[in-house]
Order: sequence, then structure tokens, then C-alpha cells
Amino acid sequence: MNIVVLVKQVPDTATERKLSSDDNTLDRAASDGVINELDEYAIEEALLLREKHGGEVTVLTMGPDQATDSIRKALSMGADKAVHLSDEALHGSDALQTAYALSKALGTVEFDLVVLGSESTDARTGVVGAALAEYLGLPQLTLAGKVDVDGSAIKVQRQTDYGYDVVEAQLPAVVSVVEKINEPRYPSFKLIMQAKKKPVQKLAIADAGIDAAGVGLANATTETVDFAAAPPRAAGTVVQDEGDGGVKAADFLAEKKFV
Amino acid sequence: MSFTEPAERVALREAVAGFAGDYGAQYFQRKARAGEYLTELWAAAGKLGYLGVNLPEEFGGGGGGIGDLAAVLEELSAAGCPTLMMVVSPAICGTVLARFGTPEQQQRWLPGIASGQSILAFAITEPDAGSNSHNITTTARRDGADWLLTGRKTFISGVDVADAVLIVGRTEDAATGRLKPALFVVPTDTAGFEARPIEMDLVSPDHQFGLFLDDVRLPADALVGDPDSGLLHLFAGLNPERIMAASLATGSARHALSRAVAYANEREVWGRPIGAHQGLAHPLAQVKVELELARLMTQKAAALYDSGDDAGAGEAANMAKYAAGEVAVRAVDQAVQTLGGNGLASEYGLGAAIATSRLGRIAPVSREMVLNFVAQHSLGLPKSY
Ligand SMILES: Cc1cc2nc3c(=O)[nH]c(=O)nc-3n(C[C@H](O)[C@H](O)[C@H](O)COP(=O)(O)OP(=O)(O)OC[C@H]3O[C@@H](n4cnc5c(N)ncnc54)[C@H](O)[C@@H]3O)c2cc1C
Ligand SMILES: Cc1cc2nc3c(=O)[nH]c(=O)nc-3n(C[C@H](O)[C@H](O)[C@H](O)COP(=O)(O)OP(=O)(O)OC[C@H]3O[C@@H](n4cnc5c(N)ncnc54)[C@H](O)[C@@H]3O)c2cc1C
Repeated sequence: MNIVVLVKQVPDTATERKLSSDDNTLDRAASDGVINELDEYAIEEALLLREKHGGEVTVLTMGPDQATDSIRKALSMGADKAVHLSDEALHGSDALQTAYALSKALGTVEFDLVVLGSESTDARTGVVGAALAEYLGLPQLTLAGKVDVDGSAIKVQRQTDYGYDVVEAQLPAVVSVVEKINEPRYPSFKLIMQAKKKPVQKLAIADAGIDAAGVGLANATTETVDFAAAPPRAAGTVVQDEGDGGVKAADFLAEKKFV
Repeated sequence: MSFTEPAERVALREAVAGFAGDYGAQYFQRKARAGEYLTELWAAAGKLGYLGVNLPEEFGGGGGGIGDLAAVLEELSAAGCPTLMMVVSPAICGTVLARFGTPEQQQRWLPGIASGQSILAFAITEPDAGSNSHNITTTARRDGADWLLTGRKTFISGVDVADAVLIVGRTEDAATGRLKPALFVVPTDTAGFEARPIEMDLVSPDHQFGLFLDDVRLPADALVGDPDSGLLHLFAGLNPERIMAASLATGSARHALSRAVAYANEREVWGRPIGAHQGLAHPLAQVKVELELARLMTQKAAALYDSGDDAGAGEAANMAKYAAGEVAVRAVDQAVQTLGGNGLASEYGLGAAIATSRLGRIAPVSREMVLNFVAQHSLGLPKSY
């Protein structure tokens, strides 16, 4: 079974993240790039499925040159090879265009299954998986907390507020995963050393048959009109306990809908 | 000349730092105070190949250098898990066996050391031979094809978790005078091998032991390599030992410093973070400078060693060990001061570090003996002893 994992490089959530005031896109030079957290779970799941069913795991990333670091990391976790879609024309693409571009890049790889994170930590639209499945005309199994493949059938536990739904489809399919699904591994020393020898195919938009008019900031279907920094945290409320501290605490929790 | 580490080394550091973060200082302290070993961490690190990065691939190692192993230990220590047995098992014993062991010894011990499934301790220090190893009296005499080993060793780390101890002794025909060492691999279950714990004032999962050997019978193949070049075998382990001891110290210094900095940024006493006071900021900045210098010298020593320049590595490794030992003590000292009363509260683990941070000044070679080396070999001053 050949699996493609979608890996997005995002700014490290531990560092300060900034938008660039020139064009309201993310200032990628301002912070270190890391693999989007949920994509590490997607990689892990792909590796587990490969260990069970054989085949190859390919990483697909759309992003600027620096994204090479994240590709290397994915390869050091154990993926076999990578495709790096990188082109100036892609800059500023929105979620829909990203899904379109990724669907075209997937046309250059043979796969039975696409695994991706259910949401990125930067833009957080959570729609790439669904849009991608539409572009590819494939079934989408979202928010997977567990994946089982049996021959050409795939079954996932789709996490919901009340528990989970069991969703089944036929391969090829697109699966987006949530944190609960596994515990991503750390790269072993051997795989770290092998990572740089693994093939990374660079694609420009023309190589993937991507229409330049369908991608990029100028053609985006959504536009970031304005942005503002998050307001600084306001000072907390101090409650004096005059014998009614418990009640006040309970009221506070109820007001915030914690209880 | 390059002052940046190769991409793989950086990736290794990142991986180990992430891995060690799952354990952290609390795990280490909990284990140490319960008198338990870091069994889970050690096994998991071994599985990922982190403990054997320096050993040859044909024996299950990573085929990397001592610089890689040092990076692993520094990152573990920086995360609050200074794993002393990495200095001993893969760095000293692993190196000596990989370079000079017989094929049988290599087959028997190296795969286990590399995977972490076996641990080897190292015993050179004796009650009357610490700084002066020419005073070693542990002696092996022939009995047919066997050896009978007799002597005492002290402060030997990790005998409780070790499968064997690499013991430095002499052969009977070289029993006195300048040390002509002979190294023996002695499994801890050998009949007559006796180890008694030494009570230490250290909060550490690594325990120290006295060894009591009275005609302990060893097969002929317990002897490592050729007895006429024992000194060479011993020296082969010394540079890795110093580079690793330095890395444990710089990692521990990083840990103490980061605790202090985090606290100094948070804690407000006069309406602003205490880190704003230069009385606290400057000593921490000074520690940072000394720390980076010590790390740089450690990396230089490792690079020289890995390039095959044993002699050049010797001077750098000694200087690195000195500088790292000093900065570890100063980092902990200043961290304790920065935390005020919390500096001595068990929760922060820094009080215990006051004692453990002294280790780098004493072992594997004392600060004074390093200064003797530098005075004599680097400066050409007369020998004082
Ligand atoms: C204000 C603003 C400015 C932006 N500026 C830029 C910019 O300058 N440059 C830029 O590239 N993006 C930029 N973006 C991000 C971009 O619009 C979206 O991130 C991107 O189109 C995907 O949407 P998402 O991250 O919300 O995906 P989600 O749907 O939240 O992500 C789900 C999964 O899709 C996969 N995925 C998503 N994106 C990629 C990718 N590129 N490669 C591989 N897999 C992927 C991952 O597996 C991810 O876990 C910006 C977003 C905003 C809000
Ligand atoms: C926690 C711990 C773990 C250890 N683990 C091991 C281990 O696993 N294996 C092992 O073999 N050993 C181990 N050791 C022993 C360690 O290597 C010795 O303690 C160290 O080499 C110093 O020897 P010593 O204690 O005999 O001190 P001594 O040699 O008695 O020295 C005492 C003091 O005199 C100073 N001094 C001695 N000679 C001179 C001189 N010529 N000029 C100036 N000053 C001098 C020394 O610097 C020191 O300050 C360990 C020690 C400790 C504390």
C-alpha cells in the first residue's frame, strides 16, 4: 500500500509568530519552521500502516525552500521519499488553492491513501483535507482517531463530541487524523543519518500541471483584509473569600461554561 | 573551519531533546530519590540508537563519532537527565573494545553496549591510586591458561546495573613501577567478584561501589587486546571519557541556567522581574559566556578526536573538561542564588545539583591534574610531582 502524507511547515508555536504587513501573509522569516504538529501524527500513522501492510510512504509538502528542513525531519522519522512543491507563484495561496495545488502534485505520485493532519496550527482552516478529496474525487474520512485497512477497504473511527462514528470507504481515499490516533516517534540515529540520502523530488507548478491562474495571492478566493495583534491578557479577577469562595468559584466556572 | 555542526548533528540534538523532554528533571529526581535506575529512559534511548551512535555499524552501532555521542549526552543532561553511564559504557568501554578488543570480545559485548541492553562499568580508581594511577596494585597472575585477579577498586559507578566491569590492572610480571596496564572484562556474575555500595551524598541514580577481588578466576580471553600495548588501550578511552564528562557538565550547566533564567523572568519582588537587576543578570550572562566557551572547546576536542588526531584531541579534551567542570559548578551556584529559598527546595532539584555539579571537578580526572597537564604539556613548566 503506497501512502502519501501531507506535511505542512508552520512557524514554531513556541516562538512569536508574525504576519507581514506588506501583503498580509505569514512572515516566514520571523520564526523557525517546524512540522505542523498534527502532521507528525499523520506521518506516524502512515509509518504504522506501512509496517503492517508494506509499500512506501511519500511526503508531500507545498512550501518555500526552508520547508526542506521539515521534509528532512519527516524522512528521518522513516518516510521513504518526498515531493516538494515549491514555486514563487504559490505564495499567498489560500486553503482552496492549496488543496487544488496539492491535488495536482498528487497526480505525479502513485498512491492508495493520502493521510494528513486535520488542522494546521497557523492558518487553522481545517478544510484542506475535504477540499483535496473533492478535487481528487475520492472519499474523505476526517478526524480519524483510529484507522484500519483491510485489503481495499478502509475503516476509521471519526472522533466526535459524543464519542466516535465508524466510517468506511474503499481505497484510494483521503484520511485526516487527530492527536488521539497515536504517539509520534522520535527519529532514530540511523534514520537521521539516512535522511539526506533519500530522494526528494522538487516540483515547480508547471511540473505538476498547475494552472498559474488558479494559485497565488492575486488569485486567492479569500483575502486577508486586515489583522491585529491579540489583545494582551487582562489582569484576572481577584475574589476575596468571605466564606462564599466556593460559590463564587462555581459561579465563575458556570459563567465560562466549564461546568 | 566551520563553527556550525552538520545538519545531522543538529537533527540528532533536536530528536534527543524532544525525547528527553518526555522524561525531564522530575523523572530523574524521582528515580534518584527512590534509589532506582533510569531503566525506561535508558532502554528507550538504546532502541533509538542514541546510546551507541559512536560504535561501528557492524556491531549495531550508529557508525558516528564521539561528537555525536557527546551531543546525545549533552541534550539528555540539558533536559535534566544526566546519564553518567553513557560516559562509561559506550564511550570508554565501547571505544576500547571497538579499537582493541578481540573479535570474540567485540561480538560478545559491543551489540549490547550499542543497544543499551548491556552496560559496562569501568574501574581504574583504587583507594591508593586516584590521581596517581601509577600506584595501581590490582594484579593478574597466570594459573594455567586462566588469570587470577586480585585487588581493590573504589568509586566505581553503576556496578549495580552493569553486566561487566572493564578493570584496569597489571600483569604479575609488571606488578610494580610505572603503570603498564592490562585491561580485563569481568562479568559481574563472576564467582568471587564482590561489590559493596559506598554511601554518597549525591541524589543520583548512579551508585558508586568498592570492588573486592581476591583471586577472581578469569578465562584467558578476559584480557583485552595485547598485554604489551595496554597503555595504548587505556589511553584510547581517555579522550572519549573527557569529552563525555565535559558534555555531561555543559548539559547540566544549561539545565541549571535555563531554570534560573525562567525564574528570573517570572519572579517579581519589587514590581519587576528580578532578572532586571544586574546583580542577578550579569552573573547569569557570565555563566552563559563561560558555558558557550566550554561547549566550543568540547566540540573542538570531539572534532579532533573524530578526525583521528588523538594527540591534538588530548589537550583540547582536558581543557574542555576543565572549563565544563568549572561552569557546571558556577551555573548551579548562580541558579540556586537566583531562586532564593526555592533554590534549596526539592521541587526545583537545584539543591541536589550543588553536590552533583562538583563531580566534573573531581572525576574522571581532577581539576588540579588537568592544570598539571596543561602546565607541563601546553606551557612546558617543570613537573611538580
Ligand atoms: C493571514 C494569513 C496569511 C497567510 N500567508 C501565507 C503565506 O504567505 N504563504 C503560505 O504558504 N500560506 C499562507 N497562509 C496559509 C494558507 O492560506 C493556508 O495555510 C493553506 O492554504 C492551508 O490551509 P490551512 O493551513 O488552514 O490547512 P488545514 O486545512 O488547517 O490543514 C490541514 C492539513 O492539510 C495539510 N496541508 C495544509 N497545507 C499544506 C501544504 N502547504 N503542504 C502540505 N500539506 C498541507 C496538512 O497535512 C495539514 O495538517 C496564510 C494564512 C493566513 C490566515
Ligand atoms: C561520583 C563519582 C564517580 C566515580 N566513578 C568512577 C568510575 O566509574 N570508575 C573509576 O575508576 N573511578 C571513578 N571515580 C573516581 C574518580 O575518578 C577519582 O575520585 C578521581 O580520579 C580523584 O581521585 P581520588 O578521589 O583518589 O583523589 P586523590 O587522588 O586522593 O586527590 C585528592 C585531591 O588532591 C589533589 N591532587 C592530587 N595530586 C595532585 C597534584 N600532583 N597536584 C595538585 N593536586 C593534586 C586532587 O586534585 C584532589 O583535589 C568516581 C568518583 C566519583 C566522586
